[in-house]
Amino acid sequence: MSSSAAVETEAEAPDLVCELDSVQGIVDALTSVRWKRHQDAVVELSEHGIVIIVEETGCLQAKVYLQREAHGRPRFGASLGLFVDCLNTFSVPGRSNILELQYPGPDMQLLLRSVDSPDACIYAEIRTRIPETISWDYNFEPAGSTPLSFTVKSAALKEAIDDLEWPGSSIQIKLQPTPPSVIFKGEGHGDLQIDFNYYANTDLLIAFSCDRQISHRFINFHLACHATTTLPSASTDFANHRYKYKFLRATTSNIPSSVIRDNRGSKLTIGRGGMLKVQHLVSVAKPSIPHPHVDSAGYQQPSRIAYIEFFVKPEVEDESVNDS
Amino acid sequence: MKFKAFLTDNGINLLEKRILPALDKMGKICHLYFTRDHAFFLHNLLNSDGVQSIAQFKKESLFTDYRISSQNDDKIAFSIDLSLLHRALRSILAIYAESRDFNSNGLQIKVQIRRRPGRADLEPLSRADVQELQLALEVSQEMPATLVKAPDLNLLQNFVDRMKHVGDVMGVTVSKYGDLHLQISTTLITLGAEFRKLMVLGERANGVDGDGNLSAQTRIERAVQRQDAMTVQASVKHFFKCLQYSSAKPDCAFYGIAPQGACLIVIFQFFIPGTRQTDKSISLHCRLPVLDPGSN
Repeated sequence: MSSSAAVETEAEAPDLVCELDSVQGIVDALTSVRWKRHQDAVVELSEHGIVIIVEETGCLQAKVYLQREAHGRPRFGASLGLFVDCLNTFSVPGRSNILELQYPGPDMQLLLRSVDSPDACIYAEIRTRIPETISWDYNFEPAGSTPLSFTVKSAALKEAIDDLEWPGSSIQIKLQPTPPSVIFKGEGHGDLQIDFNYYANTDLLIAFSCDRQISHRFINFHLACHATTTLPSASTDFANHRYKYKFLRATTSNIPSSVIRDNRGSKLTIGRGGMLKVQHLVSVAKPSIPHPHVDSAGYQQPSRIAYIEFFVKPEVEDESVNDS
Repeated sequence: MKFKAFLTDNGINLLEKRILPALDKMGKICHLYFTRDHAFFLHNLLNSDGVQSIAQFKKESLFTDYRISSQNDDKIAFSIDLSLLHRALRSILAIYAESRDFNSNGLQIKVQIRRRPGRADLEPLSRADVQELQLALEVSQEMPATLVKAPDLNLLQNFVDRMKHVGDVMGVTVSKYGDLHLQISTTLITLGAEFRKLMVLGERANGVDGDGNLSAQTRIERAVQRQDAMTVQASVKHFFKCLQYSSAKPDCAFYGIAPQGACLIVIFQFFIPGTRQTDKSISLHCRLPVLDPGSN
């Protein structure tokens, strides 16, 4: 850099330099973890790429994984809402879609820049802070030797949870082996029960797993249910836990419309102690080659998909596993 | 007072499809001001709040057989509800379209002003008010020394629409080099867009060579220091509101800052259909109030 003309001589190269394309897709992915106005996020690099973590202390945590080539391993805190609203200004249609991120700036800011042409650019600087320590309460462990999970069409899940607002109570999620089904139930000033029956609603309840040998990758349609194998009686549930409505709601309320359009599935897993993990896949970019149909198998390059994970703590109560 | 005129086909088209819907977005109520030669739609000229909008038409661009007389130097002004006017015009056109088979004559829409004694809401403006309006109009004709041509209006509109979520106030800089710079700056975030090498009308200057390597912010600061640029603070909402005039389908727009930074001005130009020549019989511009720099 010329010493006379250049004003900003950076003392050291920034830790993080990466390029984002498909900014709108990233905005969609991050929007899915916005459940209230002010949320502090922690942004860090891991082997997955960029991870953004937000939490509601003691109750709910969400992570967004964006697979990106990036240099450096920084970690900083920033306001999620501001970050998303700022990214949104970069994703104006008709403009160059490449956004360059740098960190840290001279004042520890996150620097963003999008260059349309030599004569037009958009730039931003977002103040960061020392990140909060992420609580490890959400260290998810399988419930016993049998992983308990099911995959539901995201649209159906969102609709079910939206409907369950009506009872005005916490929501019970039960996994039953015979017939293999998932029951969502709310009992408040009214009762509402929504059943997903593996054999009856095969296009809604896509997979139901209770066999350890079944892979955890929930994109696979062909997993069979072995629920009826060795269990003694029909009345024994695999799992039966209650979750506060507003936290369950947070896991689907801002699912981007692309998820619904792409016909994706969301996987729910119940871990030890009743911790609920909800996973979504969000397309970050349209496939470059148009596919006649994109199903949940989602034939797309990995970097075109963002992974969203929510962890919801159950309501503390006596965990009786049978009869309802 | 008397006013009678017939809307031309061009006038009907212009008003119904482009002008009235756009002006309505600025504000439902405005002043309609007729003089011997012009018709004006004026927003906020008599109060000091909000964005001022001046839409000026030479009478021939809208009317034929234009007759006006009043004791106030043949000037007439009154408040009007634009949405009602638009709706009335649309209804007439709809009825005409339906009855076309029966009436082979071209549509003639006569515009007339009739006094309605006892209806305070339909009173034309008093002589004093008209005087004030005329004065405000003359002041509003003051143009900036430098105007830069706006980048694509749809793009700008989209961008500013999203900027609204980030902050309320933005700095707007116009430079003699042909730069337009928009920036929101709060304690948590700075967000800006820079458009360079835009067409310049009026006073211009050549940029300094070394500036190309600087950041947008530094470049602008230096230009202001050299007095080659001016920055004012404007409301993002106001800025966005003016961009709604893109629905009137202007052919281009220009931004400038009034002398002494009194206000931010955006001028919309229409070309004579089929040419790239400015139609001087129509002029549409907005004047945005400037905020205190400390109001962020």
